[in-house]
Order: sequence, then structure tokens, then C-alpha cells
Amino acid sequence: MKWRTLFLSVLLLLAGPVWAHKASDSYLVLDVKGQQLTGQWDIALRDIDFAMGLDADGNGEINWGELRARHAAIVAWALSALTLDRGGACALQVTQHQVDEHTDGTYAVLSLRGNCPSGAGELGVNYRLLFDQDALHRGLLRLDLEGITHSAIMAPDNAHQRFSADKPSLLAQFGQFFVQGVWHIWIGFDHILFLIALLLPVVLVREAGRWRGAGRFGEALREVLWVVTAFTVAHSITLSLAALGLVSLPSRLVESAIALSVVLAALNNLKPVVNKRRWLIAFVFGLIHGFGFASVLADLGLPQEALVLSLVGFNLGVETGQLAIVAVFLPAAFWLRNTGVYRRGIFVGGSLLTLLVALVWLVERALDLKLMG
Amino acid sequence: MLAAVSHAVPRTPASDAEVLEKLPTRAADSTARELTALRAAVAKAPTDASSATELAQRYFDLALAQGDPRYVGYAEAVVARFADPLPASLLTLRGVLRQYRHDFAGALKDFEAALALAPDYAVAHAWRGAIYLVEADYGAAQKECAALQTLGRATLAGACRGLLQAYSGQLAAAYTTLQNTLSLATDADNRLWLLTRLGEVAAWRGQDAQAHYREALGLGRDDVYLLAAWTDFLLDAGQPAEVVRLLAKWESADSLLLRLAEAETLLKLPEAARHQKMLVDRFAAARARGDTTHRAEEARFELRLRQDTATALRLAQENYAVQREPRDARVLLEAAVAAKDRASAQVVREWLQRSGFEDARTRRLAQASEAAGTDGGKK
Repeated sequence: MKWRTLFLSVLLLLAGPVWAHKASDSYLVLDVKGQQLTGQWDIALRDIDFAMGLDADGNGEINWGELRARHAAIVAWALSALTLDRGGACALQVTQHQVDEHTDGTYAVLSLRGNCPSGAGELGVNYRLLFDQDALHRGLLRLDLEGITHSAIMAPDNAHQRFSADKPSLLAQFGQFFVQGVWHIWIGFDHILFLIALLLPVVLVREAGRWRGAGRFGEALREVLWVVTAFTVAHSITLSLAALGLVSLPSRLVESAIALSVVLAALNNLKPVVNKRRWLIAFVFGLIHGFGFASVLADLGLPQEALVLSLVGFNLGVETGQLAIVAVFLPAAFWLRNTGVYRRGIFVGGSLLTLLVALVWLVERALDLKLMG
Repeated sequence: MLAAVSHAVPRTPASDAEVLEKLPTRAADSTARELTALRAAVAKAPTDASSATELAQRYFDLALAQGDPRYVGYAEAVVARFADPLPASLLTLRGVLRQYRHDFAGALKDFEAALALAPDYAVAHAWRGAIYLVEADYGAAQKECAALQTLGRATLAGACRGLLQAYSGQLAAAYTTLQNTLSLATDADNRLWLLTRLGEVAAWRGQDAQAHYREALGLGRDDVYLLAAWTDFLLDAGQPAEVVRLLAKWESADSLLLRLAEAETLLKLPEAARHQKMLVDRFAAARARGDTTHRAEEARFELRLRQDTATALRLAQENYAVQREPRDARVLLEAAVAAKDRASAQVVREWLQRSGFEDARTRRLAQASEAAGTDGGKK
């Protein structure tokens, strides 16, 4: 036993992976529609050789003649290690033998055709190829089942897997995107700051160059409704246009413009220019924020078959998140509106702070720098 | 995902004589004959622990010699086929195979079970020590080195202690320990290992590492790790042309292909693009099978060759959660500096603080990571 050598050399392995070759994989691609099944199975020649011996002349090389001579045996061996079932076992046959190259060598390519007892319901895959001889072997499965793509790694401890043919229900998709919408407005600080900057002055009224507290809650509420509705309508328009692929803007421009919108909204509180029609700011910049939401939605990946539904779900999620912020902010702001804390601390101080943060964002995004966490 | 690893459209070869694949062994080779005999012995006596251990270990030796993970899978299957309860030798071997794919927790359990059966089993102590060193648990590693010493296994104990000292702030002592151990070692494999480590320790100390590496290369054995350490030294020393010369024939070894591509990129050689593409394919193939053992090298690839600092940082962080050796620390620091992300490198700075690891380059990088960036990577 060379345990000492083993230990020392494996300390080396631990220290840095050595993978001149790669572990064994087969690539199984299946397409199942109704009872019909087609597919392709790529199995490394080295693996076939290990399992059943291909090198007839013992010269250390496998040529096409040696492989061709064993085609029938390969089919028997491979199909005995793969069971597909849909309402019972599917009958499988190999219709063609070819070869292809992968990163670690040449593979036999078996074209598969099959027929399943049932044309509906889930598909079971039981994969056992090579597991008893190579515990690191993996079957990399890509299954297209009634138009839905599944990927799976078949392993000795995960050799039997079942795949559902059901599309996720429309309600579930809607719900998923709704939650994402809410989540995004809550973690999207730039959107929140923009909204807050616009909302800070709604409990105040500007008269003769001075602020006074709004008289009635309804007055403030009406102002809020105008601002929030304008913001919503605007970003819904651009979100939809962008998500449907009708308009697209470079993300750096969008992100910079969003930062600029926060800067201007904060500045307008400190040195009012637009006072009566604050909803106009909300609308104009809402158009830009919509592009920002669209990029998030693009990252999530919109399901093509439920495009509009998902879009509406996401948008409603954004609105709900927004309304939750307003619902917390407005009563508190109205209650505090005549205090020094609100007038100087929250209104002036908050606007100043917002301005500062947004300016840093603007510089970072426009110049592609990173100044702040 | 599969598209990334499938290269072309399947084809039908034109002639029976077309060679499709070269196998690692020929039937008449001594290795092949030996394996055939061992397999036959296991088939004849499936409950005999010693023949199962011998076959599995022979496969594992081949995996190390050729760097071919398929043999690891064969070895694991031999162990898996053996009926419970496993004896200490097979438990230890299973642990060794588990650590190979970075299942350190599973491996430690196997070594513990083996030592419960056979408390004096030096091999299990040695392996536990190796894993604790990778995990930067130096207190635990110290106990394993001491156990090896008590068992009178001087070379194993010296290798264990030398590495432990190097990682925990005693480079000078590590150098002496490794040199003393080298003077005990007669086996070429052991000498190669010790010389490689001496080269690394010398480089960390800012001393001449070349003599050690050259002596190791002079042993005339192919060794992927030695070449990786040596070419890393050359890259750091600004000698990429030498790296290209050394590694031109090593594109099959992915860790060396990475160094080759780095050197070619520095020299603006036309081969660089092709080798980068090969690396992309191989990383994709590993990812497709759920293999996460190459993240340190992939992080370096993203950082140095693709300038994708965000991806590099993510990979380096994921790697560091599993492996915490100096090279893992370095790639995380480099990625954090490039991404100007102070917070991500905090774990490494804490390790440096705690371990006292002395390499000046690592310490400079740690300072840079502290100064350059901001907290958190997100806007």
C-alpha cells in the first residue's frame, strides 16, 4: 500500500483541483408530445468501453468499425438502464447511430423514438446507466414535455424523477409576479425616495413664498391621489411598452435618469419651482421609472404564454407596494405637519438627505463609478 | 445548458477506419492487465475487504496520476458495491473519495468512523488533518499532526506540521520543518510534494523559490500541481513567455490551461482567444453536471481574463465558503479589490488577523481591499 504517497499527493489535490479530464456524463434530450416520444442520447465512448469493451483489437483506440460492430449490444445495454413511463412503461427504440464530440472526447449518439401508453399526465424517468460502475456518472436530462422544458441531473441517489406536464396555473403565475412587484418597490430605494420626495410636501400648502400645514386631511389625500395616479399611469405605460419589447433604452441612461428624477424632486421641495402641478413631475419621471421596472421584469423572465397576465400582476404588485408606503406615510405626515420636527427635520432635512443620496447615485450611474453602498 | 457543452451536429463517420477515441490504456498495458486481474478478484470474492480496497485504491491512484475523475467514480462504485459494515480501510477510502468532490463533512464522518474502529489508523488522521487545513481549522489540524507524530509517522507528521505552520503565521518555521522532512524523504513522490511546498513557502517569504521548483521538475515526473505552482510563480514574477513554453502541451489539464491562457493573454498571442473559449466550454460542462469544485479557478478566469468582476467575486466568495487556503484567500481579495467591495473581503482579513499568515502580497491585497472600496456591492 502506498498510503504515504497517497496522502501527500492528495494534499496537492486538495490544494488545487486537477481535472485534466472530466467526470462521466451522458446527455439525454427527450421531447414528449402526447404518446409520441423522440430524443437523443449522447454517451461517451470511453464509458461504453468501460462498461462493455469496445476496443476489439486492443490497440487503445476505438474506430468507427469497432463501434458499429457493437451497435446492437450498446442498444441493449443503454435501453436496459433507462425506463420512461407515462401511464405505464414507454416502448423505446434506437433509430440511428451517430457520433459527436463533447469537451472530453467522442460520444456515441443514439437517436431515440418511443411510444407511451398514455398521452397525458406526468412522465417518470428512471435512469441507471453506469451507476453501478461509476458512482460519479451523471445523466444530464433536458426534457421537453408538452412544450414545457425541464432540466435535471440524474444521479445514483436521484435516479428516479417525475416531471409534471401541468403548466403552472395562471393564478399562480399572476400571484408570483404580483409578489415580485411588491417586493421590487420595497427594495427599490430609488423608487421609494422619488415617491417620498413628491409626497413630503402634500401635507403642506405654499402661500406667498411660505409653507403652512394643509387644513383638512382630504386636501392632502387629494394631492396624494393625483401624484400617485400620475406616477402609476406613467410607469405602467413605459413598463408595458418595454416589457412587450416595443421600446428599449440603455439601462445606464434609465438608471441615471431615475437618479436625476429623485434629485429634481428633492430640489423642488427645497426651492419650489413646480408647486401646483406636482403630478406633472410624477407623470414625466414616472415614464422613466417604468423602464427601470421593466429591466427587473426582464430579469425575472416573462412567460410568453401568459405575458399580459404576468405584466398586469407585476404592475399591480408595484401599485400595492406603493399604496402601502402611502398608507403609512400620509397619516403620520398629516399628524406632524405643523410641528418643527416635520417642517425642518423631516421636510427640509429629509429632502436634503434625499438630494444628497440621489446626487451620489446620479454621479455613480452616469459615470459608472461606485462611491457608496 | 446542454447547448453549451454540445459542440456540433451529430455525424456519421465516413469510414470504418476512422479513429474516434483514444483510450487511456491498451488491453496489453501492464495497468490494464493489473486492473483486469483486480476486477476479477473482486468479482470472485465480493465480500473480501482487502481486494475491494485494493481495486478501489488502484483506481484512485490512477485518478491522481492522470488527473482523471472517471477513476474516482469507478473507485466510489467499488466501495458502494461492498456490503456494510465497511472496515476502517474502506471507510477511510470512502472519505478520501468524498473529499475529492469537496464533501468535507461526509469525509470527516467517514474518518471518524474509521478511527473509532482503528484508533491508530494513521491514514485517517492524515486525511483529517488535510481537510482541517483546507478549512482553516488550525487547532483541529494541529491535533492530527500530533497524532501522526505519536504514531511515529515522521514524514506524514512533518508534511502536516510544515503546512500548518505555513498557513498559521510561521513561515520561517514551516520552511525549516519542510526541509527537515525532505531530508527524511526518499520516495520521489514525497520529495516532489515537499519541494513544491518549499517553493511556495519560499515565494511567500519573498525568497528565491526557483531552486526548489527546478529541483522538483528535475525529478522528471509530470505533476499538474507542481506545474501550476511553478507557473503561478512565473506569472507573478512577470515571465509569461516561460509559462507559454512550459504549458504548451498541457491544454488537457484545465488548471494549467487557465495559466496558459493567462500568459498568452498577457503576451497578446493569437492562441489566447481559442484557449479562453475552451475554458468557457469546460466550466460550462462542469456546471451542467452540478459540479462546484472548480469555483476558485473559474473566479480567477472571470477576474483576470474576462474582467467580469461581479461574477468573479461571487465565485470567489462561494469557493471561500468551502475552501480557505492561501490561494482561495488571494483570489477573493483580488476580486474584492477589483469590484471595490470592502465587505466581501472581510472574512479574508479576519483570517489573516487570526492566522497571522505572513505573505506580503496577500497582506498588501488585504490592505487594498480595506481601503479601495465601499461596503456591499449593491446600489
